[in-house]
Amino acid sequence: MSFEEVDKGTHVVLAPEGKFNLVAAPPLKARIDDLVAVGKNRLVVDLGAVDFIDSSGLGALIGGLKAARQQGGDLRIAAAGDQVRAVLKLTNLDRILSPYQTVEEALHGW
Amino acid sequence: MAGDVPEDAPEGKEYVLEGFAVPDQLDAVHSLLAQAAGDHPDLDPMDVMLFETAIIEIANNVVEYGRPEGEVRWKFVIRVHKDTIEAELDDTGQMFMPEQGKAMPGEDAEGGRGLPMAEALLDKIEFKRLTDTNHWRMVRRLGQTPQM
Repeated sequence: MSFEEVDKGTHVVLAPEGKFNLVAAPPLKARIDDLVAVGKNRLVVDLGAVDFIDSSGLGALIGGLKAARQQGGDLRIAAAGDQVRAVLKLTNLDRILSPYQTVEEALHGW
Repeated sequence: MAGDVPEDAPEGKEYVLEGFAVPDQLDAVHSLLAQAAGDHPDLDPMDVMLFETAIIEIANNVVEYGRPEGEVRWKFVIRVHKDTIEAELDDTGQMFMPEQGKAMPGEDAEGGRGLPMAEALLDKIEFKRLTDTNHWRMVRRLGQTPQM
């Protein structure tokens, strides 16, 4: 799995594709950590091309969210599909990782 | 000649995957379930999706913790019944005792959700250590999906 990254200046959009699982999650989390370390702490993870997430993917999102917030930023998710939404709800993570419909909506307030 | 009757009618068909329990093989587990679902168009896609989520968590567990790393073999069998879908997984990893019945971790936790997720999505999850293998049986009743 690969992911696209677009730096918009005020925020960075990361867009993983395919299965966001134990193979794909560590590199994305490492990239988030690198971005936060250089002050890029407003992040959007565009999940529009993700068709499956597992607990490793969830862990990477939570870890990224915590890292971003610790530096005064935030991590928001957008365009989550049915499986991602179901898993977020099942794990109660939709309370802190509320999915935005689109990347544009996720930018609200930035 | 058997005519139009398929040799393996989907109702009784087993979908089997054998190989090494390594990260690359997780896609093969997804494909195995997709094959079973493709043969059973009457299956509710939500049931398939949630069952997939559950069995992948168990598969992840074997891939991540099975030892010796990279040498563990597994066999997945998926069966679709009238009212249930089930998977059996045998792996040759070291003896393993899952901590079943744990609560879903809190919102801040970065790990520990795999087994609680699987348990929440399955109606039955059985584990036993056989002579040389760990054996999982995972069952989801069909048509019970609550509004997610």
